[in-house]
Amino acid sequence: MRIKILSLMALALLVGCATTPAPAPGSAASKVASLGSLKHTEIGPMRVARENGFLTVKAALSNTSSSNQTLYYRFAWLGNDGFPVADEESWKSLTLYGAQTSYLTAIAPVPKATDFRIEVKTP
Amino acid sequence: MPFARFSLVAVIALLVGGCASNSPVLGGKNISYGDTKAVELVTNEFGSTDLQMIAETMTRSLAQSGILQGRPVVQVYDVKNKTSEYIDTREITTSIKTQLMKSGTARFASDNTDLQSQVDQLKLQNQSGLYKKSTVSKTGNMVAAKYRLEGSISSIVKRSSDVKDVFYKFSLQLIDVESGLAEWMDEKEIRKTTER
Repeated sequence: MRIKILSLMALALLVGCATTPAPAPGSAASKVASLGSLKHTEIGPMRVARENGFLTVKAALSNTSSSNQTLYYRFAWLGNDGFPVADEESWKSLTLYGAQTSYLTAIAPVPKATDFRIEVKTP
Repeated sequence: MPFARFSLVAVIALLVGGCASNSPVLGGKNISYGDTKAVELVTNEFGSTDLQMIAETMTRSLAQSGILQGRPVVQVYDVKNKTSEYIDTREITTSIKTQLMKSGTARFASDNTDLQSQVDQLKLQNQSGLYKKSTVSKTGNMVAAKYRLEGSISSIVKRSSDVKDVFYKFSLQLIDVESGLAEWMDEKEIRKTTER
């Protein structure tokens, strides 16, 4: 009885923390934080460069379905310690036509930014 | 068995703890604080998202352009509103100024709205004879702007029986005061469509 209850409690705790395996650090997938499922959306290659002291990101976003799609996104800019270095950005709306690939471009607001995350949300 | 009972009590206590009504909220059943960064689609007039997007795009484009080397002094002018609606364009300029300031790329001279208070304060300190000499800010030391920042916003509105389309174009330019040359320019386009 005791073992049963203990194992049930352990299971309940584990379920709350269960996630799919984390993507490899540094990969394009590790830079994307999706709020909910990203059905029919594929995040392609990313280009990161430092231009005149500011981190500049270009990321490809593809619509894999044949119908138009609207999604919302924003960038979060992180410092060396992995914490945000600027205020939150405003959410932006993006329309992707059927099978279209679009390139998001973004510039960091402060030179301190060394890393980023793209938050994506489908309506 | 006592252990099972104890576990049950513990779990219930945990659940109840999460729902306890000790929240720091007073009244307001229909009122809530929202996300200030949310995409606002209440109507298709100029809104908070447009203001935020314009300020963000312009500031970053200017900061990254490399024109602002050595933190030059910039004077900000009001954005001209050429649209058919009322827009507090001062807020666009204030946002751009704030974000440029935070990026550490520029310094700002007193602009047209706060120049009068600056002059009044200098005059008061120097001419009234009220202040201790050693603490008075001297005249003739205000820093002049190397660049001025000027912008405009215009719109095209089209209506049919079932569609209202608004197209906004915001442009901003940085002009060298001495030479009068525009050194940097960028624009942001926004389209908003309402279908009835």
